[in-house]
Amino acid sequence: MYTTKRNNLRANYTFAWGLTEYRRNHPVKDILAIDLRLCTGCRSCELACSIAHTRSFNPKRSRIQILKEEVRNLVVPMVCLQCERPLCQEACPNGAIVENKHGVLYVDSEICIGCMNCVTACVYGGIAIDPVTRRAIKCDLCKGDPACAKACQYGAISLSTSEAGGLNQRRRGVVPAFRTLGIQVEEGRE
Amino acid sequence: MTFPYKGYAGKYLDVDLTKGVVHVKDMEKEWARLFLGGSGVSSKILWERTNARTDPLSPQNILIAGTGPLTGALFSPSGRMMFAARGPLTGVWAESHVGGFMGPEMKYAGFDFVIFNGRSKKPVYLFMRDGHAELRDASHVWGQETNITTVMIREEHKDPSIETAVIGPAGEHGVLYGSITVDFYRAAGRAGLGAVMGSKNLKGIAASGAIGLEAYDMDKFVEASAREVAKLNDPLWKESLASLRKYGTTGLVAVINQIGRLPTRNHWTGYYELAEDIGPEIIAEKYRIGQEACYGCAIGCKYIIRIKDGDYATEPVGGQEYETIMAFGSNCLNNDIESILHLGKRCDLLGLDTISCGKTIGFAMELFEKGILTEKDTGGIDLTWGNKEAQVKLVEMIARREGIGDILANGVRKAAEQIGGDAWKYAVHVKGLEASGQDPRAHQSVGLTYATNVRGADHLRSLSSLEELGYPNIVIQRFGEEKADAILNIMSPKYKGQVVWDMEDLYALVDSAVICKYSTMWPPVFYYDTFVNVIPSLTGMKEWSDPKYVRQTAERISHLRRAFNHRLGITRKDETLPPRLLHEPMPTGPAKGGLPDLDEMLDEYYEYRGCDRETGYPKESKLKDLQLDFVVDTLKPKGMTR
Repeated sequence: MYTTKRNNLRANYTFAWGLTEYRRNHPVKDILAIDLRLCTGCRSCELACSIAHTRSFNPKRSRIQILKEEVRNLVVPMVCLQCERPLCQEACPNGAIVENKHGVLYVDSEICIGCMNCVTACVYGGIAIDPVTRRAIKCDLCKGDPACAKACQYGAISLSTSEAGGLNQRRRGVVPAFRTLGIQVEEGRE
Repeated sequence: MTFPYKGYAGKYLDVDLTKGVVHVKDMEKEWARLFLGGSGVSSKILWERTNARTDPLSPQNILIAGTGPLTGALFSPSGRMMFAARGPLTGVWAESHVGGFMGPEMKYAGFDFVIFNGRSKKPVYLFMRDGHAELRDASHVWGQETNITTVMIREEHKDPSIETAVIGPAGEHGVLYGSITVDFYRAAGRAGLGAVMGSKNLKGIAASGAIGLEAYDMDKFVEASAREVAKLNDPLWKESLASLRKYGTTGLVAVINQIGRLPTRNHWTGYYELAEDIGPEIIAEKYRIGQEACYGCAIGCKYIIRIKDGDYATEPVGGQEYETIMAFGSNCLNNDIESILHLGKRCDLLGLDTISCGKTIGFAMELFEKGILTEKDTGGIDLTWGNKEAQVKLVEMIARREGIGDILANGVRKAAEQIGGDAWKYAVHVKGLEASGQDPRAHQSVGLTYATNVRGADHLRSLSSLEELGYPNIVIQRFGEEKADAILNIMSPKYKGQVVWDMEDLYALVDSAVICKYSTMWPPVFYYDTFVNVIPSLTGMKEWSDPKYVRQTAERISHLRRAFNHRLGITRKDETLPPRLLHEPMPTGPAKGGLPDLDEMLDEYYEYRGCDRETGYPKESKLKDLQLDFVVDTLKPKGMTR
């Protein structure tokens, strides 16, 4: 078991698979890229997400969450990064985290038992427990047309496709946030 | 019968602080149908549960924390809530609105309104979570500043998602313009509702909830909401939006100084030569480190500042608004922006209204200049114009009612009475509320706005930005081509009665919905049709799809709030301006020589409002048209209807 996703990746290098080989086996996926510099912490994305998934205004049930910490002036959007090797899926004892027909992982709430193993496993805070159903919830990219991206009035959220540049965009989105929070992030190759 | 409409949480809390009991009650259908929410519903509750003998700071007064149907729904800018009571500073109708995240959180916790009455024996705060509410001991946070209080409450529940609305030391000490601070740096500032909270031994309210809200027709509402937001993104408003997003409200310092309406030297004039020192550019360049937005807002006028070093160094905090910069800056001839930002920050933490506090200090500075106050009175503090150290000292003294601060904590009207002599001449207020950052001598309709505003000299009940910032298309759309020229002339009193009447009704709905004045006042995008578009699909109230009904509701709310004041003895003679703004022509600046024609505007306003010109009392027929028969029943025997 590798403690973090980064170590996991590094192990893949060490075992001489090579990045190309690794990518061939794990194709890069579409992801939500968030530009922190544009985010104002208004939480419209949470609202839009809760409407799309629960048909109610209930940000606590949103798949995207804005962490706010006024004392240190932090506004940190948290959403599933659609990892190529998802720790949440590995951690699920019931196999509730499965791919939908768009190739995006989602939680089958019929199978999920709400054990929170996935929540512990994800280092990015991308999966959470729905306070009403008590089952895990994660971003499923709204079938390729994310409600949060449409609702963001500041253009901070975009769906970046698996083409070159998308991954860098994703990294730029998370690095400043994690640095501020004191979580070590290794420099990756652009 | 349970509450039938969606968009509301459907329940309210009736809290008896004396007995320490919290009752959960179903919302009343008629409240929503006739008064929508927020300000409207509060006026109904206050009308029923207070009377002419209710002392604002007694246990008999009630304090309302309220939201509206749009609060917490996907509609920009809807993250707001409001507080209302009989005001301690003015003795009349008092309401104050605030943005941030508390309003939506309260609704997600399951409650549209909270009504407090009585007085607790020991300090308490109200905690709401998922349909449950309880009064909790607040002795450990009593005396703490607002930010620490919020952090401590979050710590106590081990939940960072808790939002709060709390008072600081100022409210606890009964400063008559004590504010209620929400989310660290947003405040329900005006009219002293923090003092009412303090008088009840109530530290504040806190909420966290995951109940959520439903819409009557979600798809239709989301579509309607998107249409309204699209209006805001029209190229026409690009500049206004860009300015609000970059400077917040501080952009107004430059704009308003240009038209000679920036209150300077205790409202002596409307032009400040050193406005650039406190103006928007310096803040944006040197101190602004980021932009923020209230809940669900597409505008995002809040900005974050940091001052790296010097006497007023600070970690990141919310930047100050135009009104604060005016009150402590130009109004006190202080051109040191760092000290102004510091003063604003201290007011947020101590729980003081920055406008009233800055204006009261400006008033004291003028008395000091005129020799009415001396160093003997001030305890050795030199109150020369622009003395920033003195300002900083005074703010701390006022919040704790120490020394001269004890008198100044009563606001300019009562302070002038206590000081005596000619002091009243320099007290710039209407109905006891210190004037905000406008001047009727440079903007006619402001005179009428100040005079008729139910809570006193304030812009937020009916200010018209149409002629101030110049929106000819909107003026023609709303009032017709033939009136446009006169209305757009900022110094002409013509048709201003109609404009202010129209604005007051519009804002009555805005304050009841509860949404923000930005996008209604500036830029003037939303109008009555906005409510026709969004309220029916959100709530399921069919009558709201009738534009006539919507306007009538707006009038109903305006009239009930006015009736509340009439019952307390307010007549036309109170709907006036302080002598300085009414009789002293503007001495300097672009608006030099200007004076408001208040009487002409008032006559027209009463005509549109359906009131008697002599007294300002409502016409009985008008009240009956608006289904306000219960108001007629009370006012008629007292001779307060025509």
